Amino acid sequence: MSNKLPMLTPRRRPRLVQFFSRRLLLTAMSLAILVSVGTAVLSADETPQKSNRPNAEQIRFFENTIRPLLASYCYDCHGADVQESELRLDTLAGILTGGKGGTSVKPGKPKQSLLVTAIGYRDNELQMPPDEKLSDRQIADLTRWVEMGAPHPDSGTVKVAPRTTLDIAKGRTHWAFQTPSKPKVPRGGPADSIKNPVDAFLSAALTEQELQPLGPADKRTLIRRATFDLIGLPPTPVEIDAFLADESDDAFGRVVDRLLDSPHYGERWGRHWLDIARYADSNGLDENVAHGNAWRYRDYVVGSLNQDKPYDEFVIEQLAGDQLDSGTDVSLRNERLIATGFLALGPKVLAEVDEAKMEMDIVDEQVDTIGRSLMGLTLGCARCHDHKFDPIGQDDYYGLAGIFKSTRTMESFKKVAKWQENLIALPEELARKEKHEQRISEKKSQIEDRIAMAKGKLAPPTGETVPEDLEKRFPQETQDELKQLRDELKKLEKSTPVLPTAMGVVDGDIADAAVHLRGSHLTLGDVVPRRFPRVLCSDTPPSLPSGSSGRLEYARWLTTPGHPLTARVMVNRIWRWHFGKGLVSTIDNFGLQGQPPTHPKLLDWLAVRFVEEDWSIKAMHRLIMQSAAYQRSSGFDSHCSKVDPVNQLYWRFDVRRLEAETIRDALLATSGTLDRTLGGNLLAVKNRDYLFDHTSQDKSSYDIRRRSIYVPVIRNHLYDMFQLFDYTDASVLNGNRNTSTIAPQALFLMNSKLVIDLTTAMADRLLDADGTRKERVTQLFLEAYGRPPTEDELTRADLFLTQFVELSAQEKEDPQGDADITQQAWQALCQSVISSSEFIYVR
Amino acid sequence: MTISRRQLLQQCSAGFGSLALASLLADDAIAAPSLSQDPAETHLPHFPAKAKRVIFLFMKGGPSHMDTFDYKPQLQKDDHKQLPFDKPRVQFAPTGELLASPWKFKRYGESGIAVSELFPHVAECVDDLCIINSMHGTNPAHGGASLKLHTGSDSFVRPSMGSWVTYGLGTENQNLPGFITICPTLAHGGTKNWSSAFLPANYSGTPLGNASQSSEQARVKYIHNAQLSRNSQRLQLDLIQSFNNKFLDTTGPDLALEARIKSFELAFRMQTEMPEALELSQESRATHASYGTDDPVTADFARQCLMARRFAERGVRFVQVTHSNSEVQWDQHGDLRKGHVQNAAEVDKPIAGLLRDLKSRGLLDDTLVLWGGEFGRTPTCQGKGHDGRDHNPEGFTMWLAGGGVRSGIQYGATDDYGYYAAVDKVHIHDLHATLLHLLGLDHLRLTHRHAGRDFRLTDVAGEVVQGIIA
Repeated sequence: MSNKLPMLTPRRRPRLVQFFSRRLLLTAMSLAILVSVGTAVLSADETPQKSNRPNAEQIRFFENTIRPLLASYCYDCHGADVQESELRLDTLAGILTGGKGGTSVKPGKPKQSLLVTAIGYRDNELQMPPDEKLSDRQIADLTRWVEMGAPHPDSGTVKVAPRTTLDIAKGRTHWAFQTPSKPKVPRGGPADSIKNPVDAFLSAALTEQELQPLGPADKRTLIRRATFDLIGLPPTPVEIDAFLADESDDAFGRVVDRLLDSPHYGERWGRHWLDIARYADSNGLDENVAHGNAWRYRDYVVGSLNQDKPYDEFVIEQLAGDQLDSGTDVSLRNERLIATGFLALGPKVLAEVDEAKMEMDIVDEQVDTIGRSLMGLTLGCARCHDHKFDPIGQDDYYGLAGIFKSTRTMESFKKVAKWQENLIALPEELARKEKHEQRISEKKSQIEDRIAMAKGKLAPPTGETVPEDLEKRFPQETQDELKQLRDELKKLEKSTPVLPTAMGVVDGDIADAAVHLRGSHLTLGDVVPRRFPRVLCSDTPPSLPSGSSGRLEYARWLTTPGHPLTARVMVNRIWRWHFGKGLVSTIDNFGLQGQPPTHPKLLDWLAVRFVEEDWSIKAMHRLIMQSAAYQRSSGFDSHCSKVDPVNQLYWRFDVRRLEAETIRDALLATSGTLDRTLGGNLLAVKNRDYLFDHTSQDKSSYDIRRRSIYVPVIRNHLYDMFQLFDYTDASVLNGNRNTSTIAPQALFLMNSKLVIDLTTAMADRLLDADGTRKERVTQLFLEAYGRPPTEDELTRADLFLTQFVELSAQEKEDPQGDADITQQAWQALCQSVISSSEFIYVR
Repeated sequence: MTISRRQLLQQCSAGFGSLALASLLADDAIAAPSLSQDPAETHLPHFPAKAKRVIFLFMKGGPSHMDTFDYKPQLQKDDHKQLPFDKPRVQFAPTGELLASPWKFKRYGESGIAVSELFPHVAECVDDLCIINSMHGTNPAHGGASLKLHTGSDSFVRPSMGSWVTYGLGTENQNLPGFITICPTLAHGGTKNWSSAFLPANYSGTPLGNASQSSEQARVKYIHNAQLSRNSQRLQLDLIQSFNNKFLDTTGPDLALEARIKSFELAFRMQTEMPEALELSQESRATHASYGTDDPVTADFARQCLMARRFAERGVRFVQVTHSNSEVQWDQHGDLRKGHVQNAAEVDKPIAGLLRDLKSRGLLDDTLVLWGGEFGRTPTCQGKGHDGRDHNPEGFTMWLAGGGVRSGIQYGATDDYGYYAAVDKVHIHDLHATLLHLLGLDHLRLTHRHAGRDFRLTDVAGEVVQGIIA
């Protein structure tokens, strides 16, 4: 990371701050003037000066034509009495200040004037007057008036107050915009005896509230918790026994290491990241076509996590992998091209007829995604106006949007539009294809030669007419030979190897973007140079290269060690996935509308530590999981619960429901039918083919025994079991899945074919093994809950089996064999065990 | 420390609760000692409701308004001429000269509203209809327009209107879902059209079948257990609940785990209630005949309409009925004459049957029926043989009936040819605002906090159309 990168906001310099803020403010203002936000700062600048006061004829034109027009069509809603959208058109100040959407008239520039857009009825979202379009003549008059510089009797005398002023300097004081420092680990009191810094920080607040946290969970509970947490599968009875037998101090550490080394770790934590990447195997939205190569990105994510790829590198690859120099290493280059799928995976309105709108909608989806995923900022909010809450201007938005507008995400915008795919062929694949094509051309020339030869041997045509088909006059032998050659050619052509491609981006036409007034591409304001949000930069934001999009610079800037957001946002995500809630509870929003951290010092300490440990995610897991907080019991304490009912202070470990895919994986694993194959593509539909066209025919299939991460993610038609259990929406990123409890979940567990099939397999396995009823029930509990049953549970299970068999015998008119009823009883028992809370929850 | 009511709702809405049911949930909230409740949110509806429930008859593909409920005499005169004004800047596809409606119009009822011969049965009910001729939307493609109509947004993932309604009002029947969509199309937005997006999952529409299936096969998933008798399943459920209670003992009071125990009981009751609601054989022969379940042309849609009435009767808040086959039903870019005749024939009698049935049972007073497609069609022609029309979001017709709307009126108008909404324009956002208003919900106040801001069905737009409210 080079030194040329911008300085981040200075920290811990209270004296300088004031000096800086004034300077920054001035800079911000001049910047605003230079780059124009379309706000009134600019209008003020352009308010006609005394030197070009309108002449009498212009005033007459205004008084005779324009004012009456405004009065009869606009004043009712935008006049002295009512100001809809805070806009009034009965004064020049009002006209120039504009309403909520920004300045309504930019003198001399009709194309940048919202008023002209509105009366033109070209923008479906902005049409005035609302009931009826003005006549062509009236529209022409108003447009001309704006063109003339909006002459008005008050021209040159009114002062236009800026509608909004983003106070960047003040914005920088928000905690999340300041570089995290590494706080001292608390000492004194119980903290002294605490080994893990995480506990030292947590213990301070607990002590303050005089809360005594619960003790450690028992070993069976702990290994089940850790195993689900790190690999998303239940521990096997053998693994549990090994842990129980290991009495060393480091027994749990060894379990964590074993799990982190498992290839299933990447599947579990990769799936977490896929929530952030709004990963899907289909486009969704209007044209639900297959992302036939998205799986390559999914496998890249799984692989990166398994390798413990440093997070900064992981981010840079996903934002700008195509821009990195991979030398002659083709596999590395390909991997990095695949990584940029992150930018390409968003849902797109592929049949959008307005291509310019489609382009900006796609850019918007990217800006919104990178904002929330990597920076914890809702940048998308600044598309149409300055951010309502955060110090992010509309110009900041378009500064970033320019970077993505300069990026080629689409091959074509023509409906149905096509996204960009990058060639990721290996040299040998290219060579194979080249060889194949050579064979095709050889075959072609062989055919041509044969024809030429036969032609030469033919007698010259008799008579005037040329026979329609020359070849019919060839000797039969030659005709046969030609047919054979052509068949061979066809076969060859059909078997031409398809070179692998991956969804991703490359740089496109490099251009800065203009501010889109009210977010509409039909009213463009001034062009903003590509740059990063001012609130996160020093007063001189770095200029981006003119020869490339600036994505690489952006990625590097994001991963600068002192960046205030990147590390904080990521460690908070990691914390969230371990504990079910973040230190900052609004996981994807660190802006002013987000919640402040419950433990700010701990968050900062973790963020700095993360960077110090070379952005290692696995190191974070080890640190967090070795804490007493992670290993606490999930039991109950009425005093603690009274003081802290939501367990904000971590006096216990929260009981949590498993996520949708973990429930499914656990079911498959417990039934013994899980296929643990890693990676690859399971989508049965070809790239860009429709999953759902107008026919509503369901081409998705979920009869799969592989782990859930490999189940195709079909937007608009997610696997219903996933949807029932609060799977991510897959169209928008979500770092904080909801956990609902609804009756259809119960219906699924009680009646679905999947559950019945899997519990039948469980029952068969239990019945196939030798043993008593008691031994079988014990085995079932060990596999499903990781513990043996209690005496009471054994009795209950026993009674259930007996009663079930009796009832079935009574109800069946034509009793089947005993074996069938026994199997059904065991299936029903297995189903009960896996439907109950203990299986679905981790404690 | 307090649990917000919102958190509470998200964590433990056991069945098909709602904001309005917050007090009920509060009773259940044994483990939450101090509930902070926002009175503004718990007192729903915001004002007295005129309608209690909605039945939305969705005509997939975009029926032509000039050929059904928006009579255009000038268009009839100017067949084959050029449109005398500009076509929209953005069009789905190019169109040619004007195409007069191939169908005759007649005036019906006391209101004397003109309806084309495509809808002879509905025409007989015209005095009950509130026809909005000045609808307009924004998106000229099926997917975008459909999402816009259902969720208010054509480019972002937003909750469906049915989700918003149940979120606001809950359901009147705790044993059935509050929002049901019968044979929905899986294309053009698919589940997004009935999903709750960022609202809690229990406000998602519950689909019965889909557009590629006959309505005879329309069932809720997982509602039936093929193996176990009711008694066996009860025995099993008792075992599950004993395990669940035991787990709860180890964790101490826990809202979600308690809700889970209740959700199993609700599911068990739903297994009885849902099939019963779908048991159309309970209806009289006369009822069947009035809907047209006995005629192969109308049977499929008639069954859907009859199901809708039975759900409405049982307190389901929002029922959507989709008219779509495996093609884009009403999308006649060509073969308008053939296609529209067939489509109208399939729905005309069932819709009239539904309106009459609701009325005779006194249900029409507080049931709002909404009819329409994602857009209308162009007065200019497309395709071969002067026999097709393109998508037209610039001006189209939807109609409402019952539930507090004025009856026997036409509201707003398109231009002389039916291309653009021209008088008293009603945007889709306005329709949404009005629909919520009729249900007693203020579209400005029915909000949900997500990703750092409050969202509403109408986003930043929408005005209640006072002119159609009775």
